[in-house]
Amino acid sequence: MTQPPSATGSAPLATTVRTLRFGTGPEWSSHQLALTAANTLGVGLYLAALSQAAGGFSGLYWLILLVPATTMSFAGSGLSLGLLAVLLYSWFILLPAGSFTWWSLPAAVGLLLSHSAVSLSATAPPAARFNREHLRRRLRGHAVALSAAVVMAAGAALLSGRGLGPNPAAYAIGLAGVVTGLWLARTNPPRPRD
Amino acid sequence: MLVPPRRQKRSSRALGAWQPTAAHMRALVLSAAAAVAAVIGRRADLLVIVAPLAVAAAWGQLARPRALSTGTAEIATTTLREGEASTIVVRAEPMGDDLEGAATLALAPWVERRPSTGTVMMQGGRAVIAVRTTRWGRRQVGTVSLSLTSPWDAFRVGPIDLPDLSTETLPLPATFDTSAPTPHPRGVVGQNRSSRPGSGSEFNTIREFHPGDRLRRIHWPVSMRTGRLHVTSTYTDEDAHVFVLLDAYSDLGPREGIDGRPTSLDVTVRAAGAIAEHFLRSGDRLTLRTVGAADVPLLPIGSGTGHLRRVLDLLASIAPATERRDEGERAIRGIDPMALCLVLTPLIDPTMVELSHRLAARGLTVVLVDTFPPHLVDNPQNAYQSLAWRVRLLSREAQVSSLVARGVPVVPWRGPGSLDHVLRDVARRSSAPRLVRR
Repeated sequence: MTQPPSATGSAPLATTVRTLRFGTGPEWSSHQLALTAANTLGVGLYLAALSQAAGGFSGLYWLILLVPATTMSFAGSGLSLGLLAVLLYSWFILLPAGSFTWWSLPAAVGLLLSHSAVSLSATAPPAARFNREHLRRRLRGHAVALSAAVVMAAGAALLSGRGLGPNPAAYAIGLAGVVTGLWLARTNPPRPRD
Repeated sequence: MLVPPRRQKRSSRALGAWQPTAAHMRALVLSAAAAVAAVIGRRADLLVIVAPLAVAAAWGQLARPRALSTGTAEIATTTLREGEASTIVVRAEPMGDDLEGAATLALAPWVERRPSTGTVMMQGGRAVIAVRTTRWGRRQVGTVSLSLTSPWDAFRVGPIDLPDLSTETLPLPATFDTSAPTPHPRGVVGQNRSSRPGSGSEFNTIREFHPGDRLRRIHWPVSMRTGRLHVTSTYTDEDAHVFVLLDAYSDLGPREGIDGRPTSLDVTVRAAGAIAEHFLRSGDRLTLRTVGAADVPLLPIGSGTGHLRRVLDLLASIAPATERRDEGERAIRGIDPMALCLVLTPLIDPTMVELSHRLAARGLTVVLVDTFPPHLVDNPQNAYQSLAWRVRLLSREAQVSSLVARGVPVVPWRGPGSLDHVLRDVARRSSAPRLVRR
């Protein structure tokens, strides 16, 4: 017969995590709130770049800055898709066709920051805290993704003002063909690596 | 109240198929739509803006996990004492280096979590959550849910709830000690002084040497003075039978666990644990019965540390007021007539008073231990509740008086030395002749 367990380790668990609760909603950790702030910062950066590129716009656009904070409970939903689509559409309508501006680079940074902050926020409950290794690994990926934007910007700067050759509709059809081909060629689930 | 299974140390579940996330769909849709719009509208800068999103979408798609994972949760210790801490280790297998995960332990009554939010991000395929149980009983420690995400949060499994882990929390016995002897010892082992002379440790007298006496018992000073051999005689040491009857009819007061104020059942259970620990460590035999709780097995008479473990197991299995029809008939059946009966009750339900009367009427030595928590007071803000409470306390006083009038001592539980005075009185009284009703 085993001995009754001793009462060792009976001190109360000391570490508590500071959280913030809005009304009757869930508890939010400081890390999740920081992600919301990063999302807002990304949107702000994008709007600032757009404002500079377009030479100013209606003050109502700045109201978009309120969206990340008011929709942080819906990080895993399609709301963020709508927000980023509005931002991209704004760029499309406010800047003239055939133009290129280096302000598109900070706009790309802002868009990626917003997208990534919302994605990370959706992976864990509101009270979660993320460790440093987690964030460091993401930063490496972001550096690679942003380098693609730099390469693309350099290419666009070189090509700006030159004719595209064929009708632009041909490029669109070609891109759509590539996407459709990839869609059809995919397997679900993917084949395991050898 | 449903009593959960006794102990569940490990649980696992397949996490299911990987599903694309909203983030991945967002990156795909925006990059594709913006690319088309950029080409049609001759907006090279739009291509620049969505280039990182396109990389994220492609990277996420290429790094899609190919294996189905299984989540496992395991608690280090399934039997704990009140206030003791343990750890739950959550694993996912297989867990690629590029995968990330979050484990969450749901809040459960009388279980503290560390971190206090119960959510931990996985590192190296595992997450560790510390738990501390703050009240005795069998319970589930909370549901563990697990979710995994692939690079760029493109694909996800979960959150999936793993089957619940359950633990048994043994009551932490209150401090108890008594120097008084147990009445009616009649066994062959133990530490109680009997009334018969024989081999033991308690001094009786110095008498003349008889054949068969041990030489080491010779008392040389008296032998030298009288010129004849004298020896020191002792009383025999014997063990007694202790019968503990426990009232599980009610559980009064706020349930605040080991760090807060005790309920009436907390006091009762911890007192029973303390009494059992004391008498069993002294070599006495003990049995424990409950009244008012369902599914509590009958504990046979036993002694020693192993029996103490059985007693604590039984105490942990008590669910209060689950058998209201129990009148205690089964509990008081077949009691040793020489047993010391300790009835632990907050004296709220009259059944225990009646049972004490019946035990005393059989001629058994009965001591009623009052486990009513002193911090329970009436609510002065509610006149009707206050009045009802006072009426109940008056009737309780009347019941106590009736027990005292029958010769059943009623002592409040105050921890160490609670029973000293009354056990000495009972031991003294037990040597005197008495009249009982049969």
